[in-house]
Amino acid sequence: MRKWWFLCVFLVLWHLLGYALARRSGPAQWTDAKPDRSGAQRIVSVAPNLTELLYALDLDEAIVGVTLDSDYPPAATEKAKVGTFWQPSIEAIIACKPDLVVTLAFQQHKSLVARLRRMGYDCLTTDIWTVDDLFAGIEALGRATAREAQAEQLIAGITAKTRRLREILQDQDRPRVLWVVQREPLRVAGQNTFINELIELAGGQNAIGPTLHKYPPIGAEQVIAADVQVIIEPTMVKGDPSRQRDQALAHWHRLPTVPAVADGRIYVIDGDVVSRLGPRLYQGIETIAQCLHPDVLGE
Amino acid sequence: MPRLLSPKILFLRIAAAALLLFLTMLLCSLVGTEEISLRTALTGSADALSPNPDFEILMHVRVPRIILAAIVGAALAGAGVTFQAVLRNPLADPYILGISSGAGLGAMLAVISGVNWTLWGRSPIAVFAFAGALGTVWLVWMIGRVTGKFHVTGLLLAGVVVNACFSAVIMFLTSIAKSQDVYATIFWLMGNMNEEDFFVLWAGAGAVGAGLVALFFISPQLNAISFGATDAQSIGIDVRRTQFLAFAISAFITAVAVSLSGLIGFVGLIVPHAVRLVLGPDHRQLLPLSSLVGAMFLVAADTVARVVVAPAQLPVGVITAMVGGPFFLILLMRYNKKVGWLT
Repeated sequence: MRKWWFLCVFLVLWHLLGYALARRSGPAQWTDAKPDRSGAQRIVSVAPNLTELLYALDLDEAIVGVTLDSDYPPAATEKAKVGTFWQPSIEAIIACKPDLVVTLAFQQHKSLVARLRRMGYDCLTTDIWTVDDLFAGIEALGRATAREAQAEQLIAGITAKTRRLREILQDQDRPRVLWVVQREPLRVAGQNTFINELIELAGGQNAIGPTLHKYPPIGAEQVIAADVQVIIEPTMVKGDPSRQRDQALAHWHRLPTVPAVADGRIYVIDGDVVSRLGPRLYQGIETIAQCLHPDVLGE
Repeated sequence: MPRLLSPKILFLRIAAAALLLFLTMLLCSLVGTEEISLRTALTGSADALSPNPDFEILMHVRVPRIILAAIVGAALAGAGVTFQAVLRNPLADPYILGISSGAGLGAMLAVISGVNWTLWGRSPIAVFAFAGALGTVWLVWMIGRVTGKFHVTGLLLAGVVVNACFSAVIMFLTSIAKSQDVYATIFWLMGNMNEEDFFVLWAGAGAVGAGLVALFFISPQLNAISFGATDAQSIGIDVRRTQFLAFAISAFITAVAVSLSGLIGFVGLIVPHAVRLVLGPDHRQLLPLSSLVGAMFLVAADTVARVVVAPAQLPVGVITAMVGGPFFLILLMRYNKKVGWLT
């Protein structure tokens, strides 16, 4: 019995000792708002859309590391790589000697930020889920890197072009759009997504009503019932979109009563432009608008 | 002719394994995606004015992560030995009584609910997973107790069914959750090693170490129980108490391991078997040596996971199964005839 008591006492003492040691040599607490960032010189981006934003703010010289999936602008592929968007490598980030690491706000990145801050690295987290978030994110990036003017210009450019598009399309019908994220099993964009925002900005409406899921899996029955006028599939992989288009046509011809299929209004568009909330936002909206209103905007 | 296990042999073997573990850890700390110079890392100053990335990478990224892998590997292998002995089932592993799905469910709930606090530096995922793991084992234990005193079959079935139910709930939550949340959890479910805070490692090492020592205390009783509960009882062993202690302690260290690093399969299954095949089934030796070999195995596997698809990383569970599986099969074919333990 005695040895069990020894073990318990040892366990308690061990933790007390550890607590004391951790308090004494504990890392300096990192405050969220660093007063002076005054133009970061060495920036690491861990998301492709953030990389695009940094380039759009004329920071190409200051970027020292990007993720493997950062492929736009093409110059980004020549920067040092720090892992993937889903699994950034902290070792590679530290090796870049960054003075600012910009991240998004989902779980993997939150954990990364916590670990980097513990070592005293400055991190900026932008929470970009919607178009409004994007503008807030651009402003935050601009402030952090002393590029306020460029940030304002970028936002103004996007809003001006979107407004002009809205004026052109204001008298048009709003076609019902099915946004296919995945064909088999079928998964589409629901209403609570930024894709929905893009569709509406491009003068359309989502054919899918309110759903429990953000990207609901649906059956053929719902597709027929939704009276879909246009089907849009963003490309999922790099390469030739015509192959995916052929597959999409073959797939949808099984449902000939759907108006979009009957009218041949099935489009495959560049996935990167419409799935990254970044500086190419308007380009994405325009691409969608051309699918929805070909007679007004031309191909 | 099998030799009897004397304290001296046991001590020498443990010391040799510990030395080997230390060497493995040392070697693995020099391997990584970034080339670092040991001299720069150790001589260069670490003050804030002149950042020393070599030092940061070695001391703040690699070494904590390697220590974490050692703690988790030791915990899983030790718990695996105990579960195999008490359940008298060669397929038993630390997750067999539903710990994995309980912890997974906890982690999933933490991610979906979006809670954002930390408890002693631990993220909500870790805290929820720990609670989920212990809660599930308690539930399974209570169900198992209703089915009969020594009937491990009831316990096993309860574990399997609870596992299946919770897995279904996880699948349901996965299908309704936001996609980015799902991704975060998937990585966690495949084993997610990160470098951790000093106190987290210290406390984890203390808890796991104490748990393993406690299991070592009851290893003679485990020897008897592995022949069968009635036999053990006939030579004067309190089977109920030993079973309870063994379950409680191994569930606790497994829960600690899971909350530190997510679900890492295979270590708790094959390391005990491998050690048993090579060195025999005496638990006084099997338990400490399995823990040390488990630590070694996970440190090595995690190092491979860190570098093999650099600069990206693989979940360590992929490596443990892909490398560990064939290696174990070779051992099985080579030693089974000699030991004759499956027959």
